[in-house]
Amino acid sequence: MSNEVQNATTPGVSSNENIQMALKFLKDNGTLVALLVLVIFFSFADEAFFTPRNLTNLARQTTIVGIIAVGMTMVILINGIDLSVGSIVGLSAITVTLLMQAGVNIWLAVLLTLLLTGVIVGLWNGFWVAHYNIPPFIITLGMMTIARGLALTLSKGGSVPVTNPTFSKIGGNFIPAWISGIIIVAALALFFLVLFRGIQQKKKYNIQVKKQEIISSSVIAVLGLGISFYVFTAYRGIPYPVAIFIVIAFIGIFALENTKFGRRVYAMGGNEEAARLSGINIYRMKLIIYAIITALSALSGILLASRLNGASPNLGTMFELDAISAVIIGGTSFAGGIGTISGTVIGAFIIGILNNGMSLLGVPTFYQLMIKGFIIIAAVWFDVLSKKKKA
Amino acid sequence: MGEVILEMKNIIKDFPGVRALDEVNFEARSGELLALVGENGAGKSTLMKVLSGVWPYPTYEGDIHIRGDLKRFRNTKDAEASRVAIIYQELNLIPELTVAENIFLDRQFTNAFGVVNWNKLYSETQKLLDELNITDFEPTDKVKELTVGKQQMVEIAKALSKNAEILVFDEPTSALTDKEVEALFEIIRKLKRQGVCMSYISHKMEELQQIADRMIVLRDGKTIGEVTLMSEITLDQIISRMVGRDIKDMFPKQEFKQGEKVLEVKNFEVDNPVLAGEKQVKDASFYAAKGEILGIAGLMGSGRTELVTGIFGAFPKDARGEVYLDGEKLDFKSPQETINQGIGLVTEDRKAMGLVLGQSILQNMTISSLETVANQWGIINKAQERKLAKGYVKQLNIKTPGLNVVIDTLSGGNQQKVIVAKWLNTYPKVLILDEPTRGIDVGAKVEIYNLLNKLVEDGVTVIMISSELPEVMGMSDRILVMCEGEIAAELTREEATKELIMEYATGSKKKGD
Repeated sequence: MSNEVQNATTPGVSSNENIQMALKFLKDNGTLVALLVLVIFFSFADEAFFTPRNLTNLARQTTIVGIIAVGMTMVILINGIDLSVGSIVGLSAITVTLLMQAGVNIWLAVLLTLLLTGVIVGLWNGFWVAHYNIPPFIITLGMMTIARGLALTLSKGGSVPVTNPTFSKIGGNFIPAWISGIIIVAALALFFLVLFRGIQQKKKYNIQVKKQEIISSSVIAVLGLGISFYVFTAYRGIPYPVAIFIVIAFIGIFALENTKFGRRVYAMGGNEEAARLSGINIYRMKLIIYAIITALSALSGILLASRLNGASPNLGTMFELDAISAVIIGGTSFAGGIGTISGTVIGAFIIGILNNGMSLLGVPTFYQLMIKGFIIIAAVWFDVLSKKKKA
Repeated sequence: MGEVILEMKNIIKDFPGVRALDEVNFEARSGELLALVGENGAGKSTLMKVLSGVWPYPTYEGDIHIRGDLKRFRNTKDAEASRVAIIYQELNLIPELTVAENIFLDRQFTNAFGVVNWNKLYSETQKLLDELNITDFEPTDKVKELTVGKQQMVEIAKALSKNAEILVFDEPTSALTDKEVEALFEIIRKLKRQGVCMSYISHKMEELQQIADRMIVLRDGKTIGEVTLMSEITLDQIISRMVGRDIKDMFPKQEFKQGEKVLEVKNFEVDNPVLAGEKQVKDASFYAAKGEILGIAGLMGSGRTELVTGIFGAFPKDARGEVYLDGEKLDFKSPQETINQGIGLVTEDRKAMGLVLGQSILQNMTISSLETVANQWGIINKAQERKLAKGYVKQLNIKTPGLNVVIDTLSGGNQQKVIVAKWLNTYPKVLILDEPTRGIDVGAKVEIYNLLNKLVEDGVTVIMISSELPEVMGMSDRILVMCEGEIAAELTREEATKELIMEYATGSKKKGD
């Protein structure tokens, strides 16, 4: 659900309520509609596209950048940026594989990597941003080269293989198809339960229940979960990284929407000075948020190393751009304060579908780059246009 | 009285769901200043936006005539070409550029190759400043180094450099010192003699009595009554036209029994963050007690804001001294801690430091007290939050179509009430309000005053900074007067007179006199 906040008053009585509702749905869910259009387009353009096997791969490809983009949403919401995420992916992949090569237990290796190349590096970034008020662009640009350099140094420029079969499972295995099916059905049931409880609670506090919001969110849920059911039961099930991504995205969405933390993020992005004078600990918030995004990037690197069965120091190059693109396409304002993680998830899938679909169609990589670039510009253009109309 | 220059006839402007202007009619003449008076949200600014082409022709109905010709502006350039200029409340200058560059921003003097002729630029600017008798700054000064008052002069010079014939001021004095206001009025008088037709939007009745020739009242998008000569109308009549009812008591001061000292400040100092060795607040000691409103008067830049903001914990590096709340020592190192200990601060600059613009009323209201609507895991109970916010909307009489409405769309008075609600929900022992009624219409002012009374009655100690002497005298039990960073005097309600306060505030009477 994106821009539902603004429209509290629906002016006038309309002659045709259904058409109005459809229009509002289109307006509120522009990126989602774009995603659907892309899916339909590629399905017709290449019959290999809408197959469980391809869509499973697509989901798995998308999650790597998607996980980073969840963190990037928070960073951009507080008016920051993190350019070091791609290099962190490379560094964490190298770190975790080297640790295992040195005989460290795999779970300890994963934990240490998350801590060292994720949290610690993030706190370092956050410290410079919060303490000295240095623009995050500069600090993370520095970290981008430092981390890449470190990855190259540690790996002596070469790649590191993975020998532990358990480790490969993290990124390569699937939740069995039948369990996946049950999970998806349960998710749908849970969705309606939450929806129902929400309505009840609103009624209890005498708050008007908006019919169109309920209908549109139900449509999205049924459609989304329906496609997932088809994809993940017909092939090998939900890939582990996809499951991890879904969990992270949901925690992120919930945190931004329903917690003190989320409110503070939005307030900081909207007006940092007012937020400070309202008693928000800006310093701590920045440390936390920069730690979150690097930790997520490190996780992403671990998953990638696991799936590829090895790490190369150049992993994750240009991921920062894909992550930022996903956030921006998903409707988050670059000026901070406005945006959602659900938007970002859609944005990440739009990029994933473009990559996957164009490769299927045999579009040369050079053209793919240009098309992606134009789409990012178009997304921001659309954002600017819709804001103008509101003013 | 000159000829009619500007006529606005039956202007109607609709926004989705609201009619902002409803058949507005008035005319303005050359060589006079027409005051446009009305509460916030009455439609004054919208009217001026119609006049200046910000809202282009087909988006409104009605006719604008300038010197008898029907004008339909499609954009601001059109309006400029018809010699209409507006000096907005928020100045549109580029701080890093010089006065001259700002004045001739879109029309630099260049040669055939596009190279700027700096000598001509500066000399033309100097000519303009001379015409206006401005000697306080040079064409080569950077705008950011000028005070707000001087920046306003730059805006006026800029408007005149475009040969403006119709000049509109939108609350020009809201950020000026008395001296700057006087300088501005001097320029306005000069422009009157030159035959410029001026409109002036303001809340400050005293000023209008000094400077306006005629006035028209706007209420709920309609013009109320005719354009009236300022000399033929009383203040009370203007106010009753504005609010549609009589305001019997502008300052509904209630006195309560004074209690024990709640806040005590000793030897408080705030360093100037930019100039080493300079102090914005010097050796300030005072107290505030239960059951009272403590007023702080003083000119702008006298250190009032820095004093309270420092106590609030916003200058952890630059503030020193001792602050006690209920006998307990505060370390004023972060706003967050100070709030937890029971002090709230309604900041002077609502937009830059008080509100999170672009976000909802609800979000703005609970941001300082999220723990009141969240459980121990930090998860917000949204239904409970709405209920709480609804309560404040009702209690403070906040006029809004809903809780999810973006705060920007409310009028200044209602925005201020949202901020007050935000602080009330932190249950403060001491609430500091820095210029709580700036840019707020008369009706909402009285509501704020009543609210302050209510707070004191409920046991909150209120500290109010104000530049408006009638307000600070009308509502305070005791008044501190600040001058150049020092507390020059502490006056009781009975002792305080306008003259006395001004003498201390301007430094003509010193501490201890």
